Amino acid sequence: MVFSSLTFLFGYLPLTLALYFLTPLRRRNFVLLVVSLFFYGWGEPVYVGVMFLSIFIDYTHGLLVERFRSRDRLARWFVGQSVVFNLLLLGFFKYWDFLAANLSRLPGVSLPELGLPLPLGISFFTFQTMSYTIDVYRRDAPVQRNVVDFGAYVTLFPQLIAGPIVKYKTVAAELAERTVTSRDFAGGACRFTVGLAKKVLLANAAGALWESCLAAQGTGALTVAGGWTGLFAFGFQIYFDFSGYSDMAIGLGRILGFRFDENFDHPYLSASVGEFWRRWHMSLTSWFREYLYFPLGGSRGGRARTLRNLVIVWFCTGFWHGASWNFILWGLYFALWIILERFVFRDLLARTPVWLKRAYTLLVVFVGWGIFAMEDLGVCGRYLAVCFGGGPVWSALDGYRLRSWAVLLALLALGSTTLAADLWRTVPEKGRKALAPVLMVLGLVLSTAYLVDGSYNPFLYFRF
Amino acid sequence: MTTRYSRFLAAVFCVFLGGLLAWHVLLPDRDRSDVENRTLAQLPAFSWKGLKDGSFTKGVEDYFADQFPLRDQWTGLKARTEQLLGKREFKGVYLCGDALISKVEPPRDGLEEKNLRYVARLAESAEVPVYLGLIPSAAEIRRADLPEGAESWDQGAFIARAAELEGVEPVDFLTPLRDRAGEDLFYRTDHHWTTLGAFYGYAALLEALGREPPDMAAFPPETVSEDFRGTLYSQSGVHWLEPDSIEFWVEPEPGWTVTSWRSGRAEEAALYDRSYLEKKDQYSAFLGGNQPLCVIKNPEGTGRLLVIRDSYADSLAPFLAGSFAEVHLLDPRYYRYSAAGYAGEHGIDQIAVLYSVPNFITDRNLVLLTQ
Repeated sequence: MVFSSLTFLFGYLPLTLALYFLTPLRRRNFVLLVVSLFFYGWGEPVYVGVMFLSIFIDYTHGLLVERFRSRDRLARWFVGQSVVFNLLLLGFFKYWDFLAANLSRLPGVSLPELGLPLPLGISFFTFQTMSYTIDVYRRDAPVQRNVVDFGAYVTLFPQLIAGPIVKYKTVAAELAERTVTSRDFAGGACRFTVGLAKKVLLANAAGALWESCLAAQGTGALTVAGGWTGLFAFGFQIYFDFSGYSDMAIGLGRILGFRFDENFDHPYLSASVGEFWRRWHMSLTSWFREYLYFPLGGSRGGRARTLRNLVIVWFCTGFWHGASWNFILWGLYFALWIILERFVFRDLLARTPVWLKRAYTLLVVFVGWGIFAMEDLGVCGRYLAVCFGGGPVWSALDGYRLRSWAVLLALLALGSTTLAADLWRTVPEKGRKALAPVLMVLGLVLSTAYLVDGSYNPFLYFRF
Repeated sequence: MTTRYSRFLAAVFCVFLGGLLAWHVLLPDRDRSDVENRTLAQLPAFSWKGLKDGSFTKGVEDYFADQFPLRDQWTGLKARTEQLLGKREFKGVYLCGDALISKVEPPRDGLEEKNLRYVARLAESAEVPVYLGLIPSAAEIRRADLPEGAESWDQGAFIARAAELEGVEPVDFLTPLRDRAGEDLFYRTDHHWTTLGAFYGYAALLEALGREPPDMAAFPPETVSEDFRGTLYSQSGVHWLEPDSIEFWVEPEPGWTVTSWRSGRAEEAALYDRSYLEKKDQYSAFLGGNQPLCVIKNPEGTGRLLVIRDSYADSLAPFLAGSFAEVHLLDPRYYRYSAAGYAGEHGIDQIAVLYSVPNFITDRNLVLLTQ
């Protein structure tokens, strides 16, 4: 089930909240586990089994690590076993077909492609459970002895299918004991509504614009202007979609009594590519930093070691986003820019005015979105070639498109900045109190209208 | 935030979600939507098999969306919001002043060329002359009224290309319609041509068949409806335009007979079925709407014409009734037998393939013409 659907909003969510708050405090984790499994099983009921397996293995490995803590080699062995299990799970469902298709190109190798649907959110929950065993081993988190509580953590429906990646240690205390005040509920509801509106009203509209530009590439009608319009539209689509989902997850978490970390911090205002990744999908970046980059030695082993580590981390970051060459290329593309920023542009960037650095970052990031969005590298190459002058500059269709989307593009651009939040703070307390319910109802009503109309409403993370 | 205020905000949220859920549950389910002109999804029966293959949950989602309270109002609200944002296109329909015009997408899989070849094959196998008349839609005739720079596939070029088809005589609908583009040739809320548009089509067809042109004065218009909201009204969600009016121009003579084969059996029918004027789908008042085969006989007319057609011919048929001894209207979407065979069996003199361009380039049933 996805948040931006009528069945979730007007069926699952009110019933779940009613059940949750009618249940006594100590039984709430059990309710969470049950409703989350229902949520998960909605699209692919069979994969509830995968979920049970994942819960069982990581739960027992946590206990084993704790039990054999005094024998470090054994404890490490169990950590390793849990990591291998999670990676195998991910590898089998997400990467098998890609590996099989590519390895079968080698002479004498023939591996069958299975064509299995990807269990929703598998990239998110395997990363979460991996972090659990590692944290237990590192003594960053206490071991969880209650399998229901652990299951509730793994399946927690707000962040189950599209993040943020919530590390066990972030919510360990709240799993044991949490309170929901009416302020939490109200704050969470507002946050959820903001996220819903971002996804349904802004991201979907940007997505439709992107699709129309991409279609022009297919018919050979793409122009330079259309190409860039498309790249910006896609960049806005994925930002509002993804950060909207994170807002909804954070809001729902708060309603249920959990405080998840922020996942986005106005990434399009970044003044370097490195900064962009500290503000974009922060839970993923920090996961890779904590559980891959640092264990590899980070930047403490000299320049060659650092370079190697950066390439590994960005290869993995790219590949995590999807089993396809373009995602690998996308990750390495960022490795290149981050290495350049660290070792070549360092002094140059220090002397560059902020606005120029922001423009440079946006250019790098949005061209990157082109690589991300077009799986077929041939299409991608031809599209980007047009953007950089390999086609006519302008057509009447571009004028029509810009006129039709002018208001939305302005909203998207302004919405990527802190302007709305700043304006909100300048409104006096009384005005905010009067406006908040109006805006909430407006957001809910308009989102409902767009969802009922059954217009374009893609789910972008089915590949993650 | 004070506790009281927080409770108020939380209540607003819960009442909105829970309230619509309660409304949804209490609202009786509808079988069909007249506004959208389609049957609505019903609550699926539970089965383990359906759960396993995902059809059950998909069915529940369809049911939930289709039976949503105030469905039409939500759709209308969305269209209004889009208009406010400066959009001129609503789900493939352009809003052009006070009229809706359907955008024509480029054909896929070379279907347009395939269908032309099928018509040429029919001309080869048939023993009587075959005519092809492609009716341009409003997007072509009123191209100047489309939003500036807006896309719509070039129907004029395709019609010109079709006119060169070997062995097939062209019927030129494009020129007369284009010459009168300022008149009300198409409904503003529906994709069909009006009775006026159909009359010009009738004149063009007679000319192509080598007959005398008709006199407009012989057809006194009768306005039979002023509240017609057509397919584009439904498709676009643009609900704020003035409805269309529908005119009947032909007074059926007592000797004329109309026979429909709606359910495989011959049934008596009429050129105009006024009962549809009370329904949403008022265009079906012409000839009573979709049917595989319809035969109109007029003892005073001359010649036997077979028309292979789409729904544009519904409003054309009353005019044809006055000129021909027999008009056989065959719709390949529903009639699954050989067209050439039919022509042979019924002593047809001329075959006319009359199709609107948007239907012709998307129809996958024309392969039947080659049988």
